[in-house]
Amino acid sequence: MLHLLAQAEPFRSPTVDFHAFAPEIVLSVSIVVVLLVDLVFDERGKWATSSIAGIGLLAALVPVLTLAVDGADRSLFDGAYVVDNFALVMKALFLLSGYVTILISARYIAEGDYYEGEYYFMLLCSLLGMLVMGSARDLISIFVALELLSIPAYLLAGWRKRDLRGNEASLKYYLLGVFAAAVMLYGMSLIFGVTGSTILTEIGAALDGGEAPAPIVVVGILFIVIGFAFKVSAVPFHTWAPDTYEGAPTPITAYLSVASKAAGFVALLQLVFIGFLGRSDVWGPLFWVLAAITMTVGNLIALRQTNIVRMLAYSSVAQAGFMLAPFAVAGDIDVDRGGPLAAIPPVVTYLLIYAAMNLGAFAVVMVVARKTRSGELSSYGGLFEYAPGLAVLMTVFIFALAGIPPLGGWLAKFVVFRALLDAGTPAAIVLAVIAAVNSVISLFYYASVAREMWMRPVPDGDRAPIRIPASLGSALALAAAFTLLFGVSNVATRFGDLAIFGFLP
Amino acid sequence: MSEFLRAYLTVAVFGLAAGLLVAAMLGLGKLVQPSRPSRQKRINYESGVDPVGAGFGQSQVRYYIFALLFVMFDVEAVFIFPWAIGLESFGVFGLIEMAIFIVILALGLVYAWRKGVLRWA
Amino acid sequence: MDVDATWYLVLSALLFTIGGAGVLVRRNPLVMFMCVELMLNAVNISFVTFARMLNDTGGQVVVFFVLVVAAAEVVVGLGIIVAILRRQPGADADDISLLRG
Repeated sequence: MLHLLAQAEPFRSPTVDFHAFAPEIVLSVSIVVVLLVDLVFDERGKWATSSIAGIGLLAALVPVLTLAVDGADRSLFDGAYVVDNFALVMKALFLLSGYVTILISARYIAEGDYYEGEYYFMLLCSLLGMLVMGSARDLISIFVALELLSIPAYLLAGWRKRDLRGNEASLKYYLLGVFAAAVMLYGMSLIFGVTGSTILTEIGAALDGGEAPAPIVVVGILFIVIGFAFKVSAVPFHTWAPDTYEGAPTPITAYLSVASKAAGFVALLQLVFIGFLGRSDVWGPLFWVLAAITMTVGNLIALRQTNIVRMLAYSSVAQAGFMLAPFAVAGDIDVDRGGPLAAIPPVVTYLLIYAAMNLGAFAVVMVVARKTRSGELSSYGGLFEYAPGLAVLMTVFIFALAGIPPLGGWLAKFVVFRALLDAGTPAAIVLAVIAAVNSVISLFYYASVAREMWMRPVPDGDRAPIRIPASLGSALALAAAFTLLFGVSNVATRFGDLAIFGFLP
Repeated sequence: MSEFLRAYLTVAVFGLAAGLLVAAMLGLGKLVQPSRPSRQKRINYESGVDPVGAGFGQSQVRYYIFALLFVMFDVEAVFIFPWAIGLESFGVFGLIEMAIFIVILALGLVYAWRKGVLRWA
Repeated sequence: MDVDATWYLVLSALLFTIGGAGVLVRRNPLVMFMCVELMLNAVNISFVTFARMLNDTGGQVVVFFVLVVAAAEVVVGLGIIVAILRRQPGADADDISLLRG
């Protein structure tokens, strides 16, 4: 094996475009700084790690902005690593949702009996994996990015080390995660075998030519999509999600349900719309089935939940179904309506809006749990009477998730429906009807939270007001501002339309 | 029989010969040796320390951290080997890249050391 | 009888199936975990075979990364499993069911 490598063509020192790498470099440096600060300071100095982590994320946002202003699409390492508009939009989403995660983590981790420096170290490592994922246009870099973002997440899910439920959350997530990664890798090896390349654009060109043997291509694509279906918790590969969401620390639940899910969708978008673009006959029906059962099963089980974290977990499963829907019909969109690539903006728009409203809902759950120490739906009784501001905010987030105008969520659902109707085939119309029915079903459980807060009496009559720490307050403000902004303006769709791939086969 | 399988025939013959030889030696010994077993002779490690407890003993769980550290740092070497093969052609660029890689790995080791994982206690 | 690349691919598919079935059937977290390792090794065989067939080093590079990532997964996974077994000696995947999906 080694002699084969030595025989490869003579090495030319690559001209590394450091500007393109700047966000990753800044984040890597802050990871090292967090680790060193954790090593040098004793217990009293640990609070600094959260600040450094937050500053590091915001600092990494600066090169993302300069790259966006610069505007040129950059391709590194023979096309394995690409910085284009899509990558920049997704990196900004990852960095901002990571920042909000740190804001809602700060008090939770500092007040509980948890490792603090390591927590932020792991969180930043996971975010670094997501940044890489945004640019990865090669099977190897997608795999490395996926593992870099998953392995710290396995540990973070079990951060409540002394709680058996925390251990269980971690173990389930871990076992299913590595299983899915192995399945995905096998699919990648088959695709590599039939196309002879790991670069997505070359795979796309080879598959489009139609010379590759069909059964192997079908199995390869199937395995890769299944691998990422675990990551985005699509039914029937969702079984880890509710347990992991309930057992993990709540900030990590928010992080997994937003950033980690978004990373899975980013990988799917890249693989499907660059690598497998010519084979929509294979993945179209697959995504149709995944989307239809994901939104239906997620919503139906969410109806029965009495724990708000589990309810939000199943609601996030159902939301993933909506995000999968544009994939299902991409192959049927006419060229004059943008062709298959027109399915990308709805997904990106949905991801942006979903990130804002879901992080907001989890931030409220965190605040309420500081007082009630409970995640049960009944503990929200009469929230309006003693914490009117919180109740209003929670109502905003919940109704946004349900898709009620003028809050962000309706726009997300609207762009998905528009993509489905643009395709216009019978299958797409049926999927649109299923999605519409599901939107109505979801109203019931979202409204039950609102009913609890506004109409039910306070349990135990404890009307002591809830004090909101500054960090949680700013997270709430950020999430609420974005949820409203996305609802009343076209900012999210503008970003969705911006997020196009720079290099296609 | 193909050339490929004939090569394995040698292995099979060799294995058979080895098996026969061992059986012959042990069988011959069994035939000629006197046998006067006693309790003392039948215990495991007859001439060593007296065995204590059951045959299945658990080792200290703390050892697993050493094993994990070993696995981690051992496997990282896989990146260094191909780099070493082409060291001269990579020049200064390759040297700096590998230095960064090793420094980050070393940070991990420093972390383990500071957290007292390496202490034998 | 020639042993060509197809044999290696069949071996890889068999190993992958055994590993996959093991994860789904066995209940001991350690054994499930070993089955995942088996699947990863099947993937490695497959990648190396294709790399050899196509005369392309890309497949071998993947194997390097899979090896290293698998080691990282082992470390994390054993950490999680030891944390559980310390609190619940002899637990298997069915005992670990405080949370009902």
